[in-house]
Amino acid sequence: MSENQNTSNCRISRNVLIKAPGLLPMLYTPREIAEDLDVPETTLRDWLNHGAPHSRDESNHIWIDGKQFAAWVDNQRNARKKPAHQLQSGEGFCMRCNAIVKIQDGEIRPVKGRLSHLKGKCPNCGGIVNRGIWNAGSTELSQG
Amino acid sequence: MLDRQNYLKVKLFLKYSREVHGRSVLQISTDCEHLKALLLWAGSQPLGSAHAFNTSLSDFLFQNVEKGLDQAELQNILNTNERFFLWVKAMFPVEFQSIRLSWIMKITAISKGKEVII
Repeated sequence: MSENQNTSNCRISRNVLIKAPGLLPMLYTPREIAEDLDVPETTLRDWLNHGAPHSRDESNHIWIDGKQFAAWVDNQRNARKKPAHQLQSGEGFCMRCNAIVKIQDGEIRPVKGRLSHLKGKCPNCGGIVNRGIWNAGSTELSQG
Repeated sequence: MLDRQNYLKVKLFLKYSREVHGRSVLQISTDCEHLKALLLWAGSQPLGSAHAFNTSLSDFLFQNVEKGLDQAELQNILNTNERFFLWVKAMFPVEFQSIRLSWIMKITAISKGKEVII
């Protein structure tokens, strides 16, 4: 038995993400896995070429362990997730640049209770950047 | 590792249910989930000797009850398993000759809290 070690990220559909944990701890053929996950067999074979766990027997037939495959699908999902970034004080998300930027010329307006509104400019594109902030006594205020 | 022959029989049963009994896609999907419990219960042993397993199907399913499986769902799983055993005994009479009809009919009685002597 041999295993393919070529690894790279694949685009996994939501349907597969939901169905993959239901795979059983047994050896499947590619066609069976494709039927169970409701994907074309060619797509599955493409995933195998991109590092999905599988093995071959003496007759060169491909066998896929259901649990290992489910774990691989889960890894693919986690690999595609962008790392969470907590906005620091003075930072905001520019919708035009589609990125986190340091707000320039920030102006804070109280909205209600502890909620305030920070409005400023993006240093890259000059567009308006808005951000809601809590606690009027926070560092955001002093920077505004 | 689970027995592949058991898995293939379950797949055949689902195909038969869809094409002969005309069960809907949703029903087939539900049946498939119910029969996964059966496959896990059998493990690497053939279903032809299910009557001789150390742990009964009821015990196996009651372990899952604690994990959030309600009584109605348990009843549905047992009904599906009963239908499967009746079908598989009819389709593979030699392989399942040691499984008796009386044993199959007792599968659904398990959900009523009755102890089944196999």
